[in-house]
Amino acid sequence: MSRLHAEEMVLNMGPQHPSTHGVLRLKLRTDGEIVSHIEPVIGYLHRSFEKHAENLEYQMVTPFCGRCDYLAAMGSEHGYAMAVEKMMGIELPERVEYLRVIFAELQRIASHLVAVGTFGLDVGAITPFIYCFRERELILDLFEMASGARLLYNYIWIGGLAHDVPPGFVEKTYEFLDNFETRVAEYNQILTGNKIFIERAADIGVMTPEVAINYGVTGPSLRASGVNIDLRRTQPYSIYDRFEFDVPLGEGTQGTIGDSWDRYYVRVREMEESARIIRQALDQLPVEGDVKSAIPRRIRPPKGEIYFRSENARGELGYYIVSNGKNVPLRVKMRSPAFSNLSVINEIGQGFMISDVIAILGSLDIVLGEIDR
Amino acid sequence: MTEQEIYAKLASHFGAKVMAFVEEETLNPTVIVEAEGITDVCNYLKDTEVLQFDSLMNLAGHDPDGESDLSVIYHLYSTQLDHYITLKVFVVREHGQVGSVANIYRTADWHEREAYDLYGITFDGHPDLKRILLEEDWEGHPLKKDYVAAEFYRGMRIEKVK
Amino acid sequence: MIQSLANWILSFDILAGLGNPIAWGLSLFIVSALIFVFVAVNAIVLVYIERKVSAFMQVRLGPMRVGKFGSLQTVADALKLLQKEDIIPRSADKILFLIGPWVILVASVVTFAAIPFSDTLLAADMSIGLFYVVSISSIVVLGIVMAGWASNNKWSLYGAMRSAAQIISYEIPVGITLIAVVAVVGSLNLQTIVQAQGGTGNLFYWIPLPLPNWFIFHSPFLFLAAFIYLIGATAEINRTPFDIPESESELVAGFMTEFSGLRWALFFLSEYANATLVAFLVAIIFLGGWQSPFSNYAGAQIGFSILTLLAVMWTLFVKAKTQRLSFYPLGLSLMITIAAWLFPGFAIWLASPGLFWMLIKVGSVIFLLMWFRWTFPRLRVDQLMYVSWKVILPISLFNLMGVAVWMWLTGEIHF
Repeated sequence: MSRLHAEEMVLNMGPQHPSTHGVLRLKLRTDGEIVSHIEPVIGYLHRSFEKHAENLEYQMVTPFCGRCDYLAAMGSEHGYAMAVEKMMGIELPERVEYLRVIFAELQRIASHLVAVGTFGLDVGAITPFIYCFRERELILDLFEMASGARLLYNYIWIGGLAHDVPPGFVEKTYEFLDNFETRVAEYNQILTGNKIFIERAADIGVMTPEVAINYGVTGPSLRASGVNIDLRRTQPYSIYDRFEFDVPLGEGTQGTIGDSWDRYYVRVREMEESARIIRQALDQLPVEGDVKSAIPRRIRPPKGEIYFRSENARGELGYYIVSNGKNVPLRVKMRSPAFSNLSVINEIGQGFMISDVIAILGSLDIVLGEIDR
Repeated sequence: MTEQEIYAKLASHFGAKVMAFVEEETLNPTVIVEAEGITDVCNYLKDTEVLQFDSLMNLAGHDPDGESDLSVIYHLYSTQLDHYITLKVFVVREHGQVGSVANIYRTADWHEREAYDLYGITFDGHPDLKRILLEEDWEGHPLKKDYVAAEFYRGMRIEKVK
Repeated sequence: MIQSLANWILSFDILAGLGNPIAWGLSLFIVSALIFVFVAVNAIVLVYIERKVSAFMQVRLGPMRVGKFGSLQTVADALKLLQKEDIIPRSADKILFLIGPWVILVASVVTFAAIPFSDTLLAADMSIGLFYVVSISSIVVLGIVMAGWASNNKWSLYGAMRSAAQIISYEIPVGITLIAVVAVVGSLNLQTIVQAQGGTGNLFYWIPLPLPNWFIFHSPFLFLAAFIYLIGATAEINRTPFDIPESESELVAGFMTEFSGLRWALFFLSEYANATLVAFLVAIIFLGGWQSPFSNYAGAQIGFSILTLLAVMWTLFVKAKTQRLSFYPLGLSLMITIAAWLFPGFAIWLASPGLFWMLIKVGSVIFLLMWFRWTFPRLRVDQLMYVSWKVILPISLFNLMGVAVWMWLTGEIHF
């Protein structure tokens, strides 16, 4: 029988759609349920981060960094602060480094919790999402304790921290870790091993290592394809070389290496590794130390430029900063991980169904604030 | 391989197309490349056995002061050999043209569109060069230092920043 | 019920002059109104229960503000929906858009006419009750396709097409499963099917475990059939994990996308009416309908004592697993057990058939459906078809033969 011929239909998914993780528009060319081409249209959340940065003093850029990736604001601030510190050659007190690592890793857990939960939501499982948010609340409580804010912190300053953590913070963090380590088993019970979930996620949107590297995919999505690149390990910044942790890689347990299930499960395991890092950092945290002692009076990096990259929750977060020796940067370019991660969707999503495109999009874990900047 | 060695290799292969090597005033030693030659240089960097630059980490446009030439900066990384190089090309301010590397590094596809959008740099050979962050009918390229926002956009007043 | 209501009306001296046709018409109207009120109230209550059950499963409280424990929340929501503007998109097919929701609602309400709520509470005692219910409930798909097509929206169209494909494919295994039961009873009358399940007997005929004569315990095949029916019926009423026609994260709201206000509320009404209908059918066909699980009052006493023991074990298990003590199941069953032993009248009431048992069974099945919904992810459309045509259909065909062989083995039929 010759194949039935039908016209292709263009389906506009977004900018208002429940599963595009923000204001993203996907132009899908569909043949029935099968998607033959995906064109992401972005820019709906463009807030001119780079233009702002060129008109503000260095320390005033920090809060804008957090507003880009609003689910991992600590990580964004951390990357920016480290880039400027490297330009200025600032040596940080030990306590600052440890606290920054603790916050960056807590943020990674919080961000992955959203990723894991919303991925469940994308394939129709509602309850795991609430479970994930239950733990995320506890992390946000810790952030609130330290910085006073729950989403956008402006806590990591160039050369230090805004305040030292309040008394009782360390104990509460230990408490959280004790609780959290048992909760991961709960996610695995309700979602990871669920037969329907595996059917929906395994073998869907397979990303080969070559495609991933060529498209500049980074972070958990890259590691799910089996590429062992974690900047915390391959190019240790801050004090990550002092901690013991594994870099989880996609193994194709339920299907092919680099499928949506792998991208999901790498995140689940990364949360456990982050918890390990936080525990070690808390154990080694120096009691003494002024977190503001290294904050420079005047932030005027010497003339020059830097490209500094760090491992944020979604992948390689790079800052390209050009300084002309004044107190306002000449150029701040944020290389956002989700920007590159999203661009791969046409390559890996072709030939799948509409439902799968949603699943692939969820497994890439994008944040539109960071893509559009 | 160090950046110095990579530069030496490029210089011997491309001659005048690779113009200079800058180590001062930057924390990422940079090779200056001619605008038309960037495609060939990237092809070479990617395919040569001892270089294997398979990953374009970042591509950024840059306008130093609003008068001199614009530049495009490429940050390359080799996941296999774990070394870095930064490339830089200079482009004239108006209707500047640079070779596109979008077919070599797919990362560059969107990054070049972004540079086009914000700096007005045209990338020759790009598969689908159009604005990405701003609206199709936006006037001007806002990250240029001499950019002056239009009075209105589709009848909406654009507020001036003092 | 209609005729007896008419007779009752005529038994009053003042109304006797109405004559039978008018009294009959009047009682027909009253019964229809009662059924509609039941469906409407049922939807409001179920939405509330669903929200509370989901909250329970998600470790949160659910609605708490309107009324005690939020009990008036859904009433408030319903009132809000009634006041909302009824938007009809400009490019919609107006007529179909207007009648689509009503077709769905009518199809799901009229099925309740054949449902026996208890041994006496039954609107229409039809000899083809089961056939009637199954055939009328499949009209729902027409309404869904109407609504989806008329909306002139791509998401709605996708939802409608998915829904049509899904409901039609699942009707076949569901129908075959029901035929297996009809083969055992030899009747399509729902009341007869319930009556055939009275008393107590052995589990699967031979295993000496005294259980009620429900069809779920009739044979291994019918035991399996009960679950197949539950799965198929879940798919037919578009509930998770088979809610692909309205799958929120993919199709926005599927065929309901363009609807608002009252018309949108109608979809909800019929969704819960359908869920209730399925629960009723499961209860009637496999769980003995309004029959009590106990054949006499001693049975009730012993049965609840065993239940209490199970509750003790459950409590200890939960304690060992989560370090949390939960006394609700234990306390409830203990109270009933003590009452059953102290007051023989209560035990006799427990052992007698009636509406109470019907509602308990229906409630349990609905809880199961909600449990599915708040635990499982959603299947993809091709996986759904796969399950229907390649898994459930062969099993149900095999089941049908199995039931026949079983009845021959147990001597219920002879060749």
